[in-house]
Amino acid sequence: MNARLRILVIGAGTMGSVHSRAYRRLPDAELAGIVDPHWLGPSLAQTLNVAHYHAFDDVPSDAYDVVDICVPSPWHRPYVIAAAEKEKAIFCEKPLALTLDDADQMLSAVQQHGVRFSVGHCVRFFPEYVRAKAVIDQGALGQIAVARMFRGGGFPTAWNDWYANRSLSGGTLVDLLIHDFDFLRWVLGPVSRVYAQSVLPEMNRVDFSLVTLRFASGAIAHLEGTWAHSQFGTRFEFAGNEGTLIHDSYRERPLSLTSANPGGGVALPETPDLLSAYDLEIADFVDALRTDRPFRVSPDDAYQALRIALAASQSAQTGAVVSLEPESSLTRQGGGAQ
Amino acid sequence: MTRVALLSSAHMHVTSYLRALNALAEVEVVGIYDDDEARGRSFASAHQVRWVDRLSTLLAEADATVIGSENARHRFYAEQSADAGLPMLCEKPLATTLADALAMIAAARQHDVPLFMALPVRFVPTLAQMVAAVHRGAVGRVLAMVGTNHGNMPSGWFVEQPLSGGGAIMDHTPHVADIMRWITNSEVVEVFAEMSSRVREAGIDDAGIVQMRFANGTFASLDPSWSRLGSFPTWGDVTLEVVGTQGVLDFDAFRQHLDLYAEGTPSYRHLGYGEDMDAQLIGAFVDSVSRKLAHPTLAQGSDGLKALEIALAAYQSANSHRPVKVDGFLASAVD
Repeated sequence: MNARLRILVIGAGTMGSVHSRAYRRLPDAELAGIVDPHWLGPSLAQTLNVAHYHAFDDVPSDAYDVVDICVPSPWHRPYVIAAAEKEKAIFCEKPLALTLDDADQMLSAVQQHGVRFSVGHCVRFFPEYVRAKAVIDQGALGQIAVARMFRGGGFPTAWNDWYANRSLSGGTLVDLLIHDFDFLRWVLGPVSRVYAQSVLPEMNRVDFSLVTLRFASGAIAHLEGTWAHSQFGTRFEFAGNEGTLIHDSYRERPLSLTSANPGGGVALPETPDLLSAYDLEIADFVDALRTDRPFRVSPDDAYQALRIALAASQSAQTGAVVSLEPESSLTRQGGGAQ
Repeated sequence: MTRVALLSSAHMHVTSYLRALNALAEVEVVGIYDDDEARGRSFASAHQVRWVDRLSTLLAEADATVIGSENARHRFYAEQSADAGLPMLCEKPLATTLADALAMIAAARQHDVPLFMALPVRFVPTLAQMVAAVHRGAVGRVLAMVGTNHGNMPSGWFVEQPLSGGGAIMDHTPHVADIMRWITNSEVVEVFAEMSSRVREAGIDDAGIVQMRFANGTFASLDPSWSRLGSFPTWGDVTLEVVGTQGVLDFDAFRQHLDLYAEGTPSYRHLGYGEDMDAQLIGAFVDSVSRKLAHPTLAQGSDGLKALEIALAAYQSANSHRPVKVDGFLASAVD
C-alpha cells in the first residue's frame, strides 16, 4: 500500500474523538469521515474538517480502506460484521463484545472475509505497562507469585448514560478490568480459574469489583476495578521471588491541575508524553496494516480477555469459581485473521 | 505492680512486647519460661530477663502471662495460664485448629480469667479514626474493603506447618480480618482463597489472595503474602481501603515513615515514626489486668477464634478451589 490509508471512524464519543485525532497525526493515514447519528458526530466532523455521515451505509464503499469502530459495546457486533462484509480492515474498541456468542460471530465474519482485525486493548501501549512487561520478560523479578492491579475512578458519564446500564457496558468487570485481564494474560500467560465479587448490578451509578485470577503458571492475581472512586488512576504490583515492581499513577503525575470546576466525561489517563498511548496504539495499527505484520493485539487476544471478563462476571453473579482451563479459542478455528 | 510472665520466646513479637513491658513503671517482668530451654535461656540472657526452668514456679509468681510460643503450643500455655488463674495475652493466631481454640476459650471461661489476643493493629490511632469515620457515615454505606498485610518471609517454625498451622494465610489473615470485622460489625460468612508457594518454594503457602463475604453483604479481599523480599524498603505493610457509596477511606498503618537512602544493600529503607502499636497493646493489657476491667479496644479470644475460622476456611477453599461457607466449616470441624 503506497497511498495513505483512509480511515472511517464510527462513533464520535470519547474514544472516537481520541482515535480520530490520532489518525490526524499520522502522515500515512487520513480521516475519511465520521459516522455518528447523534449531535457529537457533526460536531467532531466539523472540528476535524472531515465528512460526517449519519449511517455507515451512507458512506460510499470506495471512500475508505479501514473502519475504526468506537460505538458503545453492544453495537460492536453489527458494525464489525458489516465492515467485514465490505472487506475493510477493522479496528474495534474494547471490549470486543459483551457475549461470547457475539464475539464468535464477529471473529467468524472477520475470518470468512479475510480482513485484518485488531481490538483497542490500549494498555499494551501505555509506556508504564510496556516497560513493566519488558522488565518481567527479562526476568528481573524472577518467578511471579502475586500480581495486584487497580483501575478506576469516578462513574463514567457518556451518551445516554449507557455505562450505567450494566447489560450495555458490562460494568467494571467487562468494560474496565478487561484492560488488566488482557495485560495480565499478555505478561503471565493463560488463566485457569476466576473468582469475583461485585456490587449488585441494580445499584445506581456505583460499580466496584474484586477479582482473583489463577494462572496456569501457578501465579495469582488480585484485581480491583472501581467506578466508586473519584479521580481516575491505575496501579500495578508484581511480586516475584527475585524482585518487586510497583507503579501507582496517583503518585506519578509530572503535571497536575487542581481545578475548581471538575468536568464529567469518560476519564482518560493524562500523559506528559509527546504521543499518548492512543496515538501509539493507532500508529502501530496503521503501521501493521501497511507493513502486513501481526498486530500487537490479535483477535484471539481480545477473545481471551473477553472470556476472562465474562467468567468474572459469571462468578460475581453466581458466587462460584469459573474454570477456564484449557484456554479454548473461538469455537470454529484459529482466532480470525491477524 | 503487675507481675508479668513471658511464656515462650518462639515468636519475634515477644521482643517488642518485652520492650513495651519494660517501659511501664507499674510492670515487673518476673521471668521467662520456654519449652525449648536453649532458646529460652538465650532469650533471657540477651534481654536481661530471669530464666525460670519450671513453668509452675513462674506462674506462681505472676499476675498475668504473655504467650509467644509457636502457634500450635498456644493451647498448652493458655491452659496452664488459665489453671493458674492468670489473665493472658496470646499472640495471634489464637491456635492452629478450631478444637484447640475452643479448648482455650473454654479453659479461660472455666477459670474465669480473661484471654486477650495480641492484635495490635487495633491500637493504631489512625485506625480508630477510620472506624469512627466509617461508623458516622463518612463514606456512606460500605460496599467493599481491600486489605493487605504483606511481609517478609519468616523462617524456622513459621514455615513448619505442624507448628505454625500454615504459612502466609495463617500468619497474616488475623490482623486485617479482625479490623474488617470491627469496621463492618458483621461476620464473614464465605471465603474464597488462592495460595501458592512461589516466593520461596519452601513447601508452605507464602503467597495468597483471600476474598471474603460478610453477613451484611459487604465483600472484601486480603493479600496476606510473604512477598516482601530483602530488597524491599520495609518489612511489609498493613493497609485497608474502605469503599462506600459516598466515598473511599484509605488506611495505611505504617505510612508515617522517612525515606532513608544510604550506601549499602538495600540502599533505600523506610524508617517508621508512627505510634508504637505494640506499646499501646501492652499498655491496654496491663491496664485491664491491674484494674480487672475489660479494655474496649483489646481483642478477646472470641475475636481470635473468628480470625482463625477465616484463615482455616481460606485453606480449605484454596485446597478445594471452591468458596467455603464459614459457619458450615466451623460446624463440621467441631463435630
